[in-house]
Amino acid sequence: MPVRFNITLCDGPSCIHKRSKEIVSTIEGELKKHGLSDKVGINLSGCLGMCSKGPVMIINPGYTIYGAFAEEDIPEIIQQHILKKKQVSRFIIDEDHLYNRFFRVFGDVNFFGKQMRIALRNCGIIDPENIDDYISLRGYEAMAKVLTDMSPEKVISEIKKSGLRGRGGAGFPTGIKWELTAKEKSDEKYVICNADEGDPGAFMDRSAIEGDPHTIVEGMVIAGFAIGAKKGIVYIRAEYPLAVKRIKKAITDARKDGFLGENILGSNFNFDIEVRLGAGAFVCGEETALMLSIEGHRGMPRPRPPFPSVSGLFGKPTLINNVETWANIPVIILDGADWFSSLGTEKSKGTKVFALAGKVKNTGLVEVPMGTTLRQIIYNIGGGIPGDKKFKAVQTGGPSGGCLSEEYLDTKIDYESLAKVGSIMGSGGMIVIDEDSCMVNIAKFFLEFTQNESCGKCTPCREGTKRMLEILTRITEGKGVEEDIDKLQRLGNMIKKASLCGLGQSAPNPVLSTIKNFRSEYEEHVRNKRCRAGVCHQLLVYEITDKCVGCAACKKACPAEAISGAPKTKHIIDINKCVKCGVCFKICKFNAIRKS
Amino acid sequence: MRQEKKAMLLRWSCQFKKGGEVPTPLEIIKKKRAEAINRIISKGFLSSKRVYVGMATCEIAAGSVEVMEVFQEAIRSGLSDVYLSQKGCAGRCNLEPTVEVVEEGKIPLKYGLVTKEKAKEIIERHLKKGEVIKEWLIK
Repeated sequence: MPVRFNITLCDGPSCIHKRSKEIVSTIEGELKKHGLSDKVGINLSGCLGMCSKGPVMIINPGYTIYGAFAEEDIPEIIQQHILKKKQVSRFIIDEDHLYNRFFRVFGDVNFFGKQMRIALRNCGIIDPENIDDYISLRGYEAMAKVLTDMSPEKVISEIKKSGLRGRGGAGFPTGIKWELTAKEKSDEKYVICNADEGDPGAFMDRSAIEGDPHTIVEGMVIAGFAIGAKKGIVYIRAEYPLAVKRIKKAITDARKDGFLGENILGSNFNFDIEVRLGAGAFVCGEETALMLSIEGHRGMPRPRPPFPSVSGLFGKPTLINNVETWANIPVIILDGADWFSSLGTEKSKGTKVFALAGKVKNTGLVEVPMGTTLRQIIYNIGGGIPGDKKFKAVQTGGPSGGCLSEEYLDTKIDYESLAKVGSIMGSGGMIVIDEDSCMVNIAKFFLEFTQNESCGKCTPCREGTKRMLEILTRITEGKGVEEDIDKLQRLGNMIKKASLCGLGQSAPNPVLSTIKNFRSEYEEHVRNKRCRAGVCHQLLVYEITDKCVGCAACKKACPAEAISGAPKTKHIIDINKCVKCGVCFKICKFNAIRKS
Repeated sequence: MRQEKKAMLLRWSCQFKKGGEVPTPLEIIKKKRAEAINRIISKGFLSSKRVYVGMATCEIAAGSVEVMEVFQEAIRSGLSDVYLSQKGCAGRCNLEPTVEVVEEGKIPLKYGLVTKEKAKEIIERHLKKGEVIKEWLIK
């Protein structure tokens, strides 16, 4: 019999001050007194966004929110609400935040309860192909409010007040970007949604579009109104066929229902959106390359100024924001900029979506307020490393980000603090690495990707990343020399400073951060020709142990004829002939071959 | 301030040109919301059980299409008082495919790693007989 009730207690940073942990034990005591311990579940959640009314407790089913109570009031609340099914009205908070809906369904599961879903508020609780679902959850109400009660200037000042920063990675204050674009006088302006999401392993934007495409449409219309644009474009990569299908359907449905097109909702504001597909170039996620791609040219970045807000698509003022930024706009309008800016840290407001992947028990999308520590995400929400392996590093920000070692686990996530420790926020990829991975190999993997995707326009990126990759490849093959590590650092720093666009400026980050935090692994590869994780296969040494029974299976299988030995005696591998293909290791039925 | 007033007057000037009471966008959206909710209810939203099957790329890759087909087949064969819908990605990737069963007055139950066979069991044991299969719930 599963629990009939669930109590979720807010364990966010300000509620912890209000002694949420003691409250849990008081609740447990009270439940035990009435024999309810196995009928009522208790879980702690992340910040519930009602900090001024802490401590906050939500009782499900029914999603009753109790706040601003004292420990002495708990027996009364338990007895009234759980035993007598009557609410205690003087403690009830009647705030109807947009993110509450998600919590209603998923709040009792630890993985979800500790998150705060704002950008992903509807993902997982509505049918993304049905506009009625979106409307019934206050969809398009923000747009209606803007068209009824607000002027473009008021909208921009709300977005500025909220402190929202671009979620694509650079973190530029969104309100200021809107203001700069609105200021320009032009007959035509454009609003672009950057749904290119080129980072390997990142899927936040894809899930946001596949789960809730209408929120992006709504955000873009609001922006079009604020800056004076009539045309919007969603630039989405063609590798996301389902997301493309759903955003196209959302646009068609919105148009049919009067949310797009002429005289939106009876006002005299016109706005329409079209979809353009990217063709798979990582560099086209960069805003200037993206705009050139839409114009039909080769996607290559250009120097700025002029910024897109002054001269962008087809030379007109253009506002370009990431999918996640758009998803936050309706929430700021409806729930208020003041409330939004109460979440997060001083300089980074709101929440951020991370795609937690790699060696962690619970993989998936994690949306938490800024200021949450890496440790909380990886261990509390992610469940820690599977198989009792040791944590080694976490890579944030995709191929442009840095690898942070264990000492940085208590870093609070925000734009400035991550940059200070040598990584970046990026678009939100977070890959957890355990002791079985080789940091040099990981740096090589990411550099291979960025080198491949380099557009070739500027020399530092085009030539520099190629040379760095050559050096790294030599190191992983056991041919590294002592100067290589310093050379990598010098090259990396030069490429960072001199590249034209963000791809080049951040491509050396994985290498530089791994050299800084894991220098000993590099030195082992270079000096001792050893890979401690056993990954760089050119550095592995295969030996036959005493478990060998002399069956000669490996000898027959070896393509280099490097194994010798008489039948029924221990065989030997000739290291000079061995090509390290690993076939003998796989074939041996007696586990007699060891690789080190 | 003058600019704001001017902008608002301009927006409402189209009302007076048309003559008569023209509703504001906020009034229109409230009406649309009521209509949308009616449409959803007429499709069976107030059934005693609502079943949501995840249908984003991760779920489909994990096999949720056949899970959805099992539920659709059950409804075609007469399973009543159940509202079936698809949902996007909730973001719990290694437990996909996920299926939520929501009943009024109860905590929504979230099943993970649902296969075709498990879906059939959920229909027989949970939807028809009300038995919650605890081992398959996401905790």
